[in-house]
Amino acid sequence: MEKFLIIGERIHCISPTIKKAIEERDTAPIFKRAKEQLDAGAAYLDVNIGPASKDGEEIMPWIVKAIQNEFDNVPLALDTTNTKAIEAGLKVYNRGNGKPIINSADAGDRIGNIDLAAEYDAMCIALCAKEGITKDNDERISYCTELLEKGMELGMEPTDLLFDPLILVIKGMQEKQKEVLEGIRLISEMGLKTCCGLSNVSNGAPKEVRPIIDATFMAMAIQSGLTSAIVNPCDKRLRETIKTCDVINGAVLYADSYLQL
Amino acid sequence: MFKKPIQRYSGKICEVEVGTGEKTMKLGGEAVLPFYSFDGDTGNKPKIGMEISDVYPEGWIDALKELYKDVSDDPVKWAQFVEEKYNPDFICLKLVSADPNGMDASPEDCAKKVKAVVEAIKTPLIVAGTGNHEKDGKLFEKVAQATEGHNILLMSAVEDNYKTVAAAGVLAYNNKVAAESSVDINLAKQINILINQLGIDNQNIVANIGCAAGGYGYEYVISTLDRVKLAALTQNDKTLQVPIISPISFETWHVKESIEPEENSPQWGNQEDRGISMEIAAATGILTSGSDAIILRHPKSVEVVRSFVNELLG
Repeated sequence: MEKFLIIGERIHCISPTIKKAIEERDTAPIFKRAKEQLDAGAAYLDVNIGPASKDGEEIMPWIVKAIQNEFDNVPLALDTTNTKAIEAGLKVYNRGNGKPIINSADAGDRIGNIDLAAEYDAMCIALCAKEGITKDNDERISYCTELLEKGMELGMEPTDLLFDPLILVIKGMQEKQKEVLEGIRLISEMGLKTCCGLSNVSNGAPKEVRPIIDATFMAMAIQSGLTSAIVNPCDKRLRETIKTCDVINGAVLYADSYLQL
Repeated sequence: MFKKPIQRYSGKICEVEVGTGEKTMKLGGEAVLPFYSFDGDTGNKPKIGMEISDVYPEGWIDALKELYKDVSDDPVKWAQFVEEKYNPDFICLKLVSADPNGMDASPEDCAKKVKAVVEAIKTPLIVAGTGNHEKDGKLFEKVAQATEGHNILLMSAVEDNYKTVAAAGVLAYNNKVAAESSVDINLAKQINILINQLGIDNQNIVANIGCAAGGYGYEYVISTLDRVKLAALTQNDKTLQVPIISPISFETWHVKESIEPEENSPQWGNQEDRGISMEIAAATGILTSGSDAIILRHPKSVEVVRSFVNELLG
């Protein structure tokens, strides 16, 4: 079994620090967060530059080159709704340590990102959604199949698509949680890889409660077959949970100091 | 057309150098399972070393005592004899005299002997201790100091004494250290982590994950070797990507099958032949399960195992 893939979420323009750093083309705060996440065990770093409708095509290559130069070509997930910006990032991306991940395509307006992934031999997060919130697992699997067929028609490896079941918030959609986990199981039973943005699950919950919800949901999702997630690796409880899941699943050999690695 | 499938691994075993000058040996470096040259880079050829002792080898069988009778009272002469006559990849000097249950020689005296040996030969040197963890800690500290610059391998550091052995051996005096565990896969990983946490990287570490003679827990050694190699290569587990050394002779020359005199059990045949067979059988299985270096005692075993390795690697 493969080790769980951690994609670090903390280079995100929703953070005022990162937003400002991007605007001022100041690499220091970006490198700081990259380093913290890599030290905490992230294998990939997500780089979210926001919609960047105006200057995305300039920002994405700049940030990709900067981070990869500084951190030994660390593999990245390129995250923006601006497809041209993603393409510009892919052009300068160094794949020595792993293919780029496009974040993301869906079965609706953003299905074109699968074409982009196929063209650039990239991986792509494929949201099992079209418009609004996916109703149930029938709908979830039909979007999953649609995206899979699209990718395969274009010659992609099925394992280069990371299917995102769309994690729903507990506070308000508690009754959907078991179904989302079941959705992960259905997708993974097809031999496909999965990914999710985890933190949505605990959205709106008190700050001290969120890590508990995140870590517990993560363990349950991994048991359901989840293979990767975009998370905050600096969250100690979550990080320890993922490491322990890897050990229990036999993806990493146990040693007394395994949590320190 | 048939295309031969190739198994690719994400990990690679680190390369560790022992010795200095022309005869420096490189251990490890493989990116595939042992002898799987059809899959990729098999790294450095497994190395074969010969065991000698710092005092007259009272417990060895008569045939070996006879073979070394002119040199075995002096480790310098003995090492030179072995180097010249058998040209092993390395020599393993076992400090038998240091055993606290035996002669209990002082670390200083032992260090002097090791220094004399290492200066008298060109072949890389491995120094083995007594197995008494407390004594070995003190012993290796002095040995490491006396051999600074010769890049020897100290065998071994265990959980009880790694701080002294690894810190003195590697950090203070630039030698190499073997990390020892006794056929326990989790401890094999843990001891490497502990040594790494002292600030010592994999290029200075060799692992002795334990060893056994056939019939004495041998299958367990083999499965431990398999699991260590698979975790290192397929899971890219950096903490296990160090070369492995197996002191075959320390185990096989203790067991009844190797030492029972022929007159007591005539049905078992010649004592020397039996000992050689036990040694070769253990060595070949352990090499094919992933050991990067083995220690042998009998020159005939060395000859056979060397040709075994050469035949397999071409």
